Amino acid sequence: MHFFLLGLSHKTAPVDLRERLDFASRDLGAAVEALATRPSAAESVVLSTCNRSEIYVASSDPERAREEITAFLSEYHALPASSFTPHVFTHDDEAAVRHLFRVAAGLDSLVVGEPQILGQVKEAYHAAADRRCTGPMLTKLFHWSFVVGKRVRAETGLGEGAVSISFAAVALARKIFGRLDGRRALIVGAGEISTLTAQHLRRQGVGTIAITSRTAAHAETLAAEVDGAVVPWDGLGEALGRADIVVTATGSQRPILTRAQVEAVTRRRGDPLFIIDVAVPRDVEASVGEIEQAFLYNVDDLQAIVHENLSRRSSEVERAEAIVSEELARFLAWRRSRAAVPTVVALRQRFDRIRRAELQRLEAKLTHLTPEDRARVDEVTRLIVEKLLIEPTEQLKDLPDEETQIAYTEAINRVFRLREGEPSPMPGDSAAEATPADPHDT
Amino acid sequence: MNANVLPFAVYVVAAVVYAVYFARREPAVGRAATTILLLGTLAHTFVIGMQTMEVRYAPVSNFSWAVSSFVCLLALSYLYLELTTDERAMGVFILPIAVGLQAVPVLHPGDEAANPLLDSPWFWVHMASLMFAYATFAIAAVLGLIYMLQFTEIKKKHLGYLYTRLPSLHVLDAMNSRAVVVGWACLTFGLAVGVFWAVEARALAPDNANLQAMSLGDPKVFIALLTWTLYSFSLFARRVLGWHGRRGAWLSAVGFAIVLLNFLAVSNFLQTSHTFQ
Repeated sequence: MHFFLLGLSHKTAPVDLRERLDFASRDLGAAVEALATRPSAAESVVLSTCNRSEIYVASSDPERAREEITAFLSEYHALPASSFTPHVFTHDDEAAVRHLFRVAAGLDSLVVGEPQILGQVKEAYHAAADRRCTGPMLTKLFHWSFVVGKRVRAETGLGEGAVSISFAAVALARKIFGRLDGRRALIVGAGEISTLTAQHLRRQGVGTIAITSRTAAHAETLAAEVDGAVVPWDGLGEALGRADIVVTATGSQRPILTRAQVEAVTRRRGDPLFIIDVAVPRDVEASVGEIEQAFLYNVDDLQAIVHENLSRRSSEVERAEAIVSEELARFLAWRRSRAAVPTVVALRQRFDRIRRAELQRLEAKLTHLTPEDRARVDEVTRLIVEKLLIEPTEQLKDLPDEETQIAYTEAINRVFRLREGEPSPMPGDSAAEATPADPHDT
Repeated sequence: MNANVLPFAVYVVAAVVYAVYFARREPAVGRAATTILLLGTLAHTFVIGMQTMEVRYAPVSNFSWAVSSFVCLLALSYLYLELTTDERAMGVFILPIAVGLQAVPVLHPGDEAANPLLDSPWFWVHMASLMFAYATFAIAAVLGLIYMLQFTEIKKKHLGYLYTRLPSLHVLDAMNSRAVVVGWACLTFGLAVGVFWAVEARALAPDNANLQAMSLGDPKVFIALLTWTLYSFSLFARRVLGWHGRRGAWLSAVGFAIVLLNFLAVSNFLQTSHTFQ
């Protein structure tokens, strides 16, 4: 059994093609089910995010899998294969495993270390597992990739620090207010960054979101999107008094929040007021930052945080790659040990057959023994066989690479004549030179 | 061998593990730190228990033993705050205090001369409550200082090593507030028990000059009442005037500084009848 991966990502395909080959917006489960009807892709997982569409299969015939997956993509998305094949990449076995581990670790993401990808990999696996499209090989592979993702997150700083302005703003809010539930946010002006910030705040469980904008329609659209309440523009001062977090993003040429206004509302409060001014030109007078109880961050401050975090992340890439390589080696070792299983089983059966045949042959000579003594003889012979097999079993499961494994398996197959129906080799008998069984064909 | 060495050694290890946790932020290291500290306090409690059995009352009337008890209560108080807020980043600040203070009984193991007057359960309750209160106020003061540190980092947009590792302002404020409440409750209880016990002891020992002279005018008693007033105001300010956050942090830091100065003044320069050595 081989792993095979066919996919396209932000590194190989332009956004319009990625959009056309996207599964995430459609039913992922139905897609993987449709794919699994093809014989070479019976064990498959479809991973689809806005930056990638990747299909992982465990197949005995990777070449056929490539053809069938290409045909599936073309049919499913109603696109001629020629439109996407130049942008598609494929990986076999070790390379496919490494790729999945890197994806789960966030190393292959557009923004390195972004946190969502591990969840998306899990979703992709569960969508396939729920429809019984995964077998033992893919199950093991994906669970291993979750471990890689978690390890990289826990042991490196790859996912640390916000790398977008809106995330940086929310991270700061959390450092000030702790958990955000029960906190009140006020969004002034419905621009792109303020919308993103409002969405992040909502996801972090902020208590209420009040939205005000000179154009009431903009405020209403955003309010509907983030389950917020619209506040009339002339109620800004009052809304300010109730807010813990304020995001300003209007197109105003003059400041809309003055020092006097902010001072008036902070005088009465114990908790600080956090103001995020993402507007250019600025919406909040710079001197507001001097007020004791107010934290004022503008778009440049947030940008600086993002830059610093990005450079810190890139310095963590090496450590994350090391974890990926380490886990890859472990995974491959596990796979080799698994590939040894049929040979080990055959060897045990062979030895046990010989043992039982010998006992049977001696049956007539052992009639004077009591049933207890017979049981003991049986036990002793069984133990001898077990002990003889311990070392070879360990050795077979712990071979350094696949080539050695094939060589050892073949040698054992020959030495002990493990293949069934094989006639006893006589000098010059060609049957003993039959092709070795594929160690992965389990 | 001086029995105080054992908890001292465990606290040193805990301090190191807390420092590693602060730097690396690995949850497993944090849990290990908590476990080690817990073992340290258990060992310490055992040592204090042995001393109690020796002199038949809480071993606090000589300076070294008092410091040892204080450290044990400080560690317990910190553990309480840590377990109720699930925030372990403060250990790196608290543990060095515990280690530093515990060095006193390790270096100068004092001798306790048994004083029959103190052989009363009230004494134990009185001392333990007050010491726990002061230990908790000490922690509140450290938390207040750290709050100010984190506040300044965010204010100055200096979002580096400390900013990332220190807890949020909200958590620091909540821990500080909890410490002040617990400390105040213990202080109130300890003082009430003290008054009650003093009245009882006075009747039992009519010829003890110190006991008979004890009054609100005694510097030690006066300072205790001043401390109580100060922290009562702190609670009032938090609850009623909304003085949490920065003001609350200041109050607990300044409050403890005043308490400390007064205690040093009382024990070194002023005459007090509140002494039993």
